[in-house]
Amino acid sequence: MKLSLARLTATQKSGLAVALLGLVAAFAGSPYRGPVYTVDAQELARVVETTVDHVTAEDVADWIIQGRTDFRLIDLRTEGEFAEYHIPGAERVPLTALAGYGLQKNETIVIYSDGGIHSAQAWFLLTTQGYKGATMLFGGLEAWKDNVLFPRPAENPTPAQSVQFAKMKEVSKFFGGTPQMDSTAAVTAPSFTMPKLETPQGGAAARGTSPVKKKKEGC
Amino acid sequence: MQADVQPLTAEQVGAHTHHAVPRAPQPYTNPYLAGFGLGLVLLASFVIMGRGLGASGAFSSLVAFGADAVAPEHTRANAFYAEYLGDHTRHPLMDWLVFEVVGVFAGGFLSGILAGRVRMGIERGPSTTNRMRLMYAFAGGGLMGIGAKLARGCTSGQAMTGGALLNVGSWAFMMCVFAGAYAVAYFVRRQWQ
Amino acid sequence: MNAPFFKFGLFGDNVSLIVAFLIGIGFGFFLERAGFGSARKLTAQFYLTDLTVFKVMFTAIITAMLGLFYLGWMGLVDLSLVYLTPTHLVPQIVGGFLLGAGFVVGGYCPGTACVAASTGKMDALINLLGIILGIVVFGELFPWVEGFYYATPMGQVTLPQLLNLSYGLVVFLVALMAIGAFAGATWVEKRMAARKGGQPS
Repeated sequence: MKLSLARLTATQKSGLAVALLGLVAAFAGSPYRGPVYTVDAQELARVVETTVDHVTAEDVADWIIQGRTDFRLIDLRTEGEFAEYHIPGAERVPLTALAGYGLQKNETIVIYSDGGIHSAQAWFLLTTQGYKGATMLFGGLEAWKDNVLFPRPAENPTPAQSVQFAKMKEVSKFFGGTPQMDSTAAVTAPSFTMPKLETPQGGAAARGTSPVKKKKEGC
Repeated sequence: MQADVQPLTAEQVGAHTHHAVPRAPQPYTNPYLAGFGLGLVLLASFVIMGRGLGASGAFSSLVAFGADAVAPEHTRANAFYAEYLGDHTRHPLMDWLVFEVVGVFAGGFLSGILAGRVRMGIERGPSTTNRMRLMYAFAGGGLMGIGAKLARGCTSGQAMTGGALLNVGSWAFMMCVFAGAYAVAYFVRRQWQ
Repeated sequence: MNAPFFKFGLFGDNVSLIVAFLIGIGFGFFLERAGFGSARKLTAQFYLTDLTVFKVMFTAIITAMLGLFYLGWMGLVDLSLVYLTPTHLVPQIVGGFLLGAGFVVGGYCPGTACVAASTGKMDALINLLGIILGIVVFGELFPWVEGFYYATPMGQVTLPQLLNLSYGLVVFLVALMAIGAFAGATWVEKRMAARKGGQPS
């Protein structure tokens, strides 16, 4: 039986086209290729210089107190360090697991480690893979300890600095830290004990509900 | 007077032209063509937003918003509603699906106007009454509301979107929708025939 | 090309709402074009007299599926960023049966009810109210249903992953199945029409 292409209806021709496309697909390979990323060195350098690549510990503290759920906090350290203390709400993700962790490319991600080196490297990894919202916690966990958990007043504070310190005292207590009265107290004094990992007082806990992420992509 | 709305065929249009309708109802588009258009819209959603279509989710947001307005403490303590209310940095109705569904109303109306198919009325089969039809419509809606929530979506979101994405749950859902409908169809045939 | 555009931060949440509205217009438009503003046309599917529902739905699925496959394969779309609803097998099966039953009883599905309501059908409006009540009932009963709701989770899993076949092969099989089903549907419609024509009215 000779099949003449011209005698097929439009519908039948489309059906044939679909079958062919499907056949090619069967041999084509994986569709999960994804785009290839180009690293624009100039652009990255500019981002670094304008400091949009990091957020301060005070900012993160504010976000947590406000109960915001529109950002993710990533802790790059080891499991032991994480268990001992981590910033409330942080998720522990080692560098090697970052790419496959399921972070959104357009959400705000705050990465931290003890200091700044690992978080800077993670920031670079994520940014070059297209994660537009990746940022680093400026100064890492050390800055968190210094400025949020154990804030110290300035030597001869200006009125603005006094106001800021008064606020940081409250913030520090929220996270279970201890505000220092002495401006010359050394940060690394062994007398500092890290706060226990409990839900911070006040804020979301006091409201009785934990901030829930809005269901964004379901149907 | 009974409002018995039936889509007219092209032949019937000729017989009814003495009824002054603003525009004669046009015949429906070829199903494959309409499906192709629908598929392109779905593809556009994948490419632009990285998500598919939906309908029932918009009504969940609406219910959560209403429940929050009426009984905020009860609503926020409920894990289901809380998911649609989020962290209150954004109004629950400023939601992708809500805006999409508003678009569905608009698009449906646009196509209806162009095709002369916009007419107030109650659509039913010839063997039933308006009252029965409305009761069935409401009951059917209730079943669908519960079913859609259990399944995390309806035919647009789960069957079509998930179907195109080869999602396992969506294919299972789609087959059960057809099975469930065929199983019950016999018992409500009087409503339609 | 960095697609999905939204996931790459090309535009923000507010613009995405406008995109939602425009996509919704396209969605509603083609649903109405196909005649899905009519409950009788929709339910005719389940009496085998008019299989438009099946044809439209599966043509849409095939179109989007093939389109997405090739765009992903060409590297134009990052397929891993397209959201896949996590599978909870048993609740979705039960939900499917309920939705199917509700579909043939009520005459619409949620999306087509919107289209029908927008073209003036009062029964569609009542159907939407029913859907809203169904959601309220579900929400109120949620504390008791929660266990079942989260039962049998399988995570985000696709048919290729489940069947351990290549994505392209599953695409091919689905395409073949759809074409076969379309041919079958045309045959069924002809048979039902012939049977109806042969019977005294």
